Amino acid sequence: MTNHDPSSDTVARESAVKRFGWKQWIALAAFAVIVLVTILFAVRTVRRALYWRLHRDEVIRPWMSIPYVAHSYRLPPQVLYEALKIPPQPHDRRPIREIAREQNLSVDDVIATLQSAIARERTSHPPGLPSPSTGRSP
Amino acid sequence: MNITDQLLAALSLYGLPVLFGVITIAAVGVPMPVTLMLVAAGSFVELGEMKLWQVIIVASAAAVLGDQIGYALGRWGGHRITRGIVRRKNGEAKMAQARAFTERWGDAGIFFSRWLVTPLGPWLNLTSGLTGYSWRRFFVWDILGESLWVILYVLLGKFFSGRVQALLDILGNLAWVIVGLVAATIVGWQLIRYLRPVKHASTGKAFSKTIA
Repeated sequence: MTNHDPSSDTVARESAVKRFGWKQWIALAAFAVIVLVTILFAVRTVRRALYWRLHRDEVIRPWMSIPYVAHSYRLPPQVLYEALKIPPQPHDRRPIREIAREQNLSVDDVIATLQSAIARERTSHPPGLPSPSTGRSP
Repeated sequence: MNITDQLLAALSLYGLPVLFGVITIAAVGVPMPVTLMLVAAGSFVELGEMKLWQVIIVASAAAVLGDQIGYALGRWGGHRITRGIVRRKNGEAKMAQARAFTERWGDAGIFFSRWLVTPLGPWLNLTSGLTGYSWRRFFVWDILGESLWVILYVLLGKFFSGRVQALLDILGNLAWVIVGLVAATIVGWQLIRYLRPVKHASTGKAFSKTIA
């Protein structure tokens, strides 16, 4: 139990250990486990936060608007509008689901069109930041 | 599309009224993906689709309104429950204990359950009302806590704009870190408390002996 090491002197600790019943040992074990799990989650949190500070490219979901997707993939929205063959709109808040309904397409079709447009744009104009494939995924 | 996607789509399309409705309902105690809504709203602010000050005011007002409803339910709807508790064995003493507890820890409890340990929020609203906790104090700490909560998550969403889902995953991890820290503090404190009283008792005894 390296996690519970009070700075008290050895005599006090020995007497403390002597007074430890099974309940206290269980509490101490629980304390150690909790601390370990907390450290694991803390490390994971920090690693993911660092990763996502530099990366975007969020998986496209039906709730996202075209400007949102363009922002996430760092592309001009016009590229995506062109791919979908719809006129660009300022302050377009329509989610992909809504656009799919208007175009009589399935949501998956619209997302697939967007993904291929993004891939095409990426090959012709590589982005300044490393893409997730070269970066280390958390 | 699941319920979360539906809510986010509605937030994107209709903006503030959706934010207000969802947060109010959640503050009363109905489970809703409110963190996600706030973070997404922050993202929409960054995109120029929503205004920061409007989001903060509307979301804070919604949260405070929901909390007040919870408090009112506890205070004026909870009489039957209180009477039930009081009628039981030691009921009076238990109610007095609960009152003393909220009186002592109430302010901090209300404040921290608004933004740090949010799952406790709706419960504390009810119990604060139930134990007759000062409405004025509840209101003041509620506004402070909820504003902090809203500002925190909206700014996070703004900062991590375009990565709402990733941020949510990070926050999910962070929630476990907070739970772990709270649990470690409680268990650790119990252990320390177990080790200490004997010392105190012995010094106390020694002290009384010298007096005698």
